[in-house]
Parts: sequence; structure tokens; C-alpha cells
Amino acid sequence: MKLVFTLAFLLSTTTFAKSRGEELFNLCMSCHGQQGYGNHKVGAPAIAGLPKWYITKQLTIFASGGRGKHPDDDAGNRMRPMARTLTPEDIKDVADYVSILKPQTPEKTLHGDLEKGKALFVVCAACHGQNGDGNEVLHAPTLKISNDWYLVTQLKNFKNKIRGADAVTDAFGATMSPMAATLPDEEAMKNVITYVQSLKQ
Amino acid sequence: MMEQIITQASSYAAQIDNVIHLIAAIVGVWLAVAFYVFFSFIFKYTRKRHPKAAYITGETHEDGKWVHRAHFVVIACDVVILVFAAMAWHHVKQQLPPAEATIRIVGQQWAWKFTDPGLDNQLDTVDDINTIDELHVKVNTVYHFKLEAKDVLHSFSVPVFRLKQDAIPGRVITGWFKPTKTGEYDIQCAEMCGIGHGVMAAKIVVETPEAHAAWLEQHKSQNITQNIKTKNLKKLAINK
Repeated sequence: MKLVFTLAFLLSTTTFAKSRGEELFNLCMSCHGQQGYGNHKVGAPAIAGLPKWYITKQLTIFASGGRGKHPDDDAGNRMRPMARTLTPEDIKDVADYVSILKPQTPEKTLHGDLEKGKALFVVCAACHGQNGDGNEVLHAPTLKISNDWYLVTQLKNFKNKIRGADAVTDAFGATMSPMAATLPDEEAMKNVITYVQSLKQ
Repeated sequence: MMEQIITQASSYAAQIDNVIHLIAAIVGVWLAVAFYVFFSFIFKYTRKRHPKAAYITGETHEDGKWVHRAHFVVIACDVVILVFAAMAWHHVKQQLPPAEATIRIVGQQWAWKFTDPGLDNQLDTVDDINTIDELHVKVNTVYHFKLEAKDVLHSFSVPVFRLKQDAIPGRVITGWFKPTKTGEYDIQCAEMCGIGHGVMAAKIVVETPEAHAAWLEQHKSQNITQNIKTKNLKKLAINK
């Protein structure tokens, strides 16, 4: 009988107890939403289902001041103090949890020129892959589950040295920065992201 | 007394501390009187000595004077506090001494951003220096600040300056301070502004004119490029 109770107790705690990552996710929820689908109003992108290595890396860079420390990066300025409240162990746990959340195809908000975008995407494909699936070896994240408005903002940030300006604090951002600089203007950024959107179907 | 707890690093810190001392002294005296009366009555009017309590309605002049006279003294104390508090308020909030430099302070969830006027000492020009988390100022210089909030209410608090000013979205609030002691001090948001309020902190670095000049020189070139790139100036001009 004792054994049954013990087993029942163990089963109940493993089934119902929240993982540490899930508990930590409460902090993220206030901006990124309950399911991690993001909130455009506060500049919080979808994060559900992003690869664990990418979340870990970005949280670490945010916490160390490599990202979100530029005065013109409003959304990054909001994210940085949040990341600073996490220990390396917390980052690992929360990245674990966020990476297993079910991603959704984000809503389209851009209507650029698909053909022009396709031509520009050749540069991106070198690291992010032909289908924008990303490549961990090259530290290039997937583009398929990110919001189009977020991607355009990040391209602008990379181009204007708001993100990835310093190779010491954000080495992989610094490799993206000259890539974004090849896009001449916002129009081109919208075109290429419109093409990225089309890959999601 | 206050200075032993937290250093005074602005020209008006001592005046504000004096108001706090005055309030503490007056309230302290009354506290001592109240405790003396309370405990001496407990001792004096024990059941053994006064088995039957007297019922006093307070309607006669003789009874009432114990209440009225104390009231008048309390009001007089209040007036004294008000006069000194109003003098401090007038000095800190109403009467702005001429600015030797003007900076911009912007609060947003959850960071403090600062704009230094740069070498030309003019805001909204190409050599402005934008920083986050760190405000560099010269010691013994009168600074005016233009305080703004981007999203919700914030409060710019520098405890060593005895300065606390709310930042309100849509308003540009002008205030001033004159740092008197070099060093690195805390800035903290003092108005609940969301989940990151507790970590919305920054540093104010009060430095000698030489150190400040070196800092300006160091940040000069990179900010000019950045200002042109991100069209900061245009954006700021529209905001104005």
C-alpha cells in the first residue's frame, strides 16, 4: 500500500510540477505572450520553437551587454534588463523550455516585391539556408518562425550598427552586420523579408 | 545625521537634509512628550491609587485647554516645517539657476538614456553623445535636464543628490542639479513602471573637468557617425 502511495506521489509531482524553465518563462510571458507568439505593440517577437542554442546565445549576449545596449534599440533596451536577471543556469533552463514550445507561422504584415526579394536572398541563403531553416554550425538561426516586422527591424539595427557593432561582445552579430549593409535601403529589406515570408508556406 | 547614512553630492542636498532633520527633531520632541505622558499616566493612575476613573466630557474651559493649547503648538510646528519645506521646494524646483550645460534624460521600460550636448554644449547637434545606463557630468557645474518618458511613468532618482523627479509621457520636465562631489553614484527608477522596474538602474559619474573633457573626446567621433547614420537629430527635432 505504501508503495502505491509513493508511486502515486512521484507520478503526480512529475506530471504536474512545473519545470524550472516553465517557471522562468513567466517572466518572458508578460511581453512575448503566454505561448511565446510575441507582441508587436511592445516590439517583442515570436520566440516559441526557436532553437535552444540560439536562445541561449542571445540571452547570454543580452545579459553581457553585447545586444540591447544601444540607445536607439528600444526593444533591445527592454530585453536586456530581463536577461540580466537570469543566471547561466536559468538561461539554459528557459531556453530548454522555449525551444520545445510549438511555433506558429507568424502573420504577414509586409507586402514587398517577391522577385526582387528572391534575388537579394541569395546572400542570406549562404548561411541561413535555401529555405531559411538556419544552420547551427554557422550560427545562423531559422528565419521561418520569426515575425516579418522583427526581421526588418533587426536588419535595420544590423545595418546601422545598433546590433552586432562589436565583434568582441557579439561575434556572430558582427558577422551579420556587413551582410545587412549590402541591402541599400528599407525597401530592399522589406523585399527580402517578403521572400522569407513566402518560404513559410 | 543624514550625511552619515548617505553622502551629499549636490548643492541642494544639505538643504533637503536639513528639512528632514527639522521634521525628525520636531516629531521626535512630540514623540518623547507623548511617551512621557503615556507612561507617567500609566504609573500615576494605577487602579490601586485611583480605583474610580473620572469621566471628563471636555466641555469646560478648564478641561478643554489641555486639548486646544496642544493643538496650537502642533499647528505652530507645522507652520515652521512648511516654511522650511517651501524654501527648499522653491530653491530646488522653482528657482532654476542659469544652466552651464543642458542634458536630456529619457526613461523607457527599462533603461535610462542620456544625451550629452557634446563639445559645442548644444543639444540636438551633430556632436551630441548618446549613452545608456551611464551619465557623465562635470563636478561643480550647473546642469539643467530635460526629462522625458517614452512609454509609461518613470521617476529619475539620484539619492546622493536628494533628487527625485517623475518623468511623464508626453511632457518634457526641466529640472537642475549641481554635483559637488566626484564619484560614481546610483540612479534608480523610483516609480513602478512594469516588470523590469526593479532593474531599471543606471550610474551617474561625477568627474573633474579634465576627466570629463577626456570622456567627451573619447566619445566624440563614434557618436557623430552614429548620429548621422540613425538620423537621431531628425527624430529629436520632430520630438521637440
